[in-house]
Amino acid sequence: MDYTGQQITSSRSGLGEEKPTDGLMIPANNSKAIDGLGFRNIIDLLPCYLSIQDRSMHILFANQNFKDDFGEGIGKLCHKVYKGSPERCEFCPVQKTFKDRKVHISEETVQLSTGEVADMIVYSSPILNASGNVAAVIEMSTNITKVKEMQKELKILGQSIAILSHDIKNILEGLHGGAYVVDEGIKDGDMELAAKGLDIVKRNITEISSMAQNILYSSKKRDLKYREVSPNEMVRDLVDLFQEKANAMDIQLKHETNHAPPLVSLDPMSIRRMLENFIWNALDACKKDKEKDFHAVVVRADLHDKFHFKFEVEDNGVGMDEETKASIFDEFYSTKGGHGTGLGLLIVDKIVKEHGGKVEVLTTPGRGTTFRTIFRIN
Amino acid sequence: MKNPSKIIIIDDNPDFRFTMEIFLKRNGFETLTAEDGQNGMDMIEKERPDLILLDVMMESIYSGFDVCKSVQSNPDIKDIPIIGISGMGAELGVSPDKKGDDDYFRVDEFFEKPVDKEKLLARIKELLVEGLVRKGKAVRIHDRVYIKK
Repeated sequence: MDYTGQQITSSRSGLGEEKPTDGLMIPANNSKAIDGLGFRNIIDLLPCYLSIQDRSMHILFANQNFKDDFGEGIGKLCHKVYKGSPERCEFCPVQKTFKDRKVHISEETVQLSTGEVADMIVYSSPILNASGNVAAVIEMSTNITKVKEMQKELKILGQSIAILSHDIKNILEGLHGGAYVVDEGIKDGDMELAAKGLDIVKRNITEISSMAQNILYSSKKRDLKYREVSPNEMVRDLVDLFQEKANAMDIQLKHETNHAPPLVSLDPMSIRRMLENFIWNALDACKKDKEKDFHAVVVRADLHDKFHFKFEVEDNGVGMDEETKASIFDEFYSTKGGHGTGLGLLIVDKIVKEHGGKVEVLTTPGRGTTFRTIFRIN
Repeated sequence: MKNPSKIIIIDDNPDFRFTMEIFLKRNGFETLTAEDGQNGMDMIEKERPDLILLDVMMESIYSGFDVCKSVQSNPDIKDIPIIGISGMGAELGVSPDKKGDDDYFRVDEFFEKPVDKEKLLARIKELLVEGLVRKGKAVRIHDRVYIKK
């Protein structure tokens, strides 16, 4: 754009003292479209928030966009209006500009008058008076919440590739190792040994299948397909599916269901994925526990109250300490060393949120864990 | 026949322990196995193996990193060579630091899973000799190692 360097001052008396500042400029070749619009109107229409603050952080001026989203802020403290905070912001760019007369940028998290929280990039620029001192500071902010979300997604993507490669390497190790044992067994005519090797290979195939399903689930944006289903049936089917695996691990796996269950509307495919992840974790927690002689996993479907129903997966495995419990829904958090991407519970979290439900985790170290998910009936 | 060298395999993955046990036994070694750091440490102190094959990223409270530190700070066993193994590699910031910075773990060799068994075997043989030199049971003169009688 062609700027001529034509400078303007703030129209508010006592601020600019009619002395040019290096803060605001307009293009020289105004098109007809904005003739007669007036600077005040243009400023109001700017697709960003613009305000002017004095040294005590009181707002002297705010554009319409600002007022629409933060309310009538004039005369109030900016940190109060932006954040509802009695304290000045830690990295306040406005105060820095008052100190050094320079332009400053910071990223802030603010709260709109609707209560919505937003990430902002904030620029501050000085308005100088006749003696060259900062009389006031213009603050311009843009909502970058979407950009921040994208940044987060990119970060997750990067981490996920690293973790997946780690997991794949572990499974490869299992496949290599299993195949080696099969080879050695065949070489010696020791079929028992070969069968053990084959078991290792099969286990790792199961692991990579489950992993592939989690990756597919987390990478695809899919619309939920709600259907009226019986939670009882889902729970029974899943328990049947995992029964053989549980037997092999010497863990009792059973279901407990309500006698008069309601039909509920949910996306059966994702709820199934959620329960599969819970059951995997429960079996794993039992396998890790060396204290108890008997291990059991119970999968339940039942009413939670009049308006809600719940799924529960309870195990008497190792349980979790507070720190672990607080981290389990973090991206790629895993305590399973070589055996877990940390993707499972992240997907659970996603599924539950998509259904507008909630997850509760009841756990005691050494005693076991119950994962409870609660959903509205319809 | 001379006594076979004793190698301890410390890994929380039973499949890996089983496979490695078979592999090492078939190559003439005696093996011990432990499924977590604490058991591994107890066995090392009791059995004094000639080499430690250690999963550095075990999920147990007493991790592979801890085993490294405990072995290396105990004068009675600090000479035992350690081969670190992990599925996590450089892409997750896991790599051994041979200079011995405290923030890192120090091992004599590091293999990422899946482990190349032939390379592992070659390195085990070299490190067993190195272990003898450290214990004063062998001497290295130029490139040759002479085992003391």
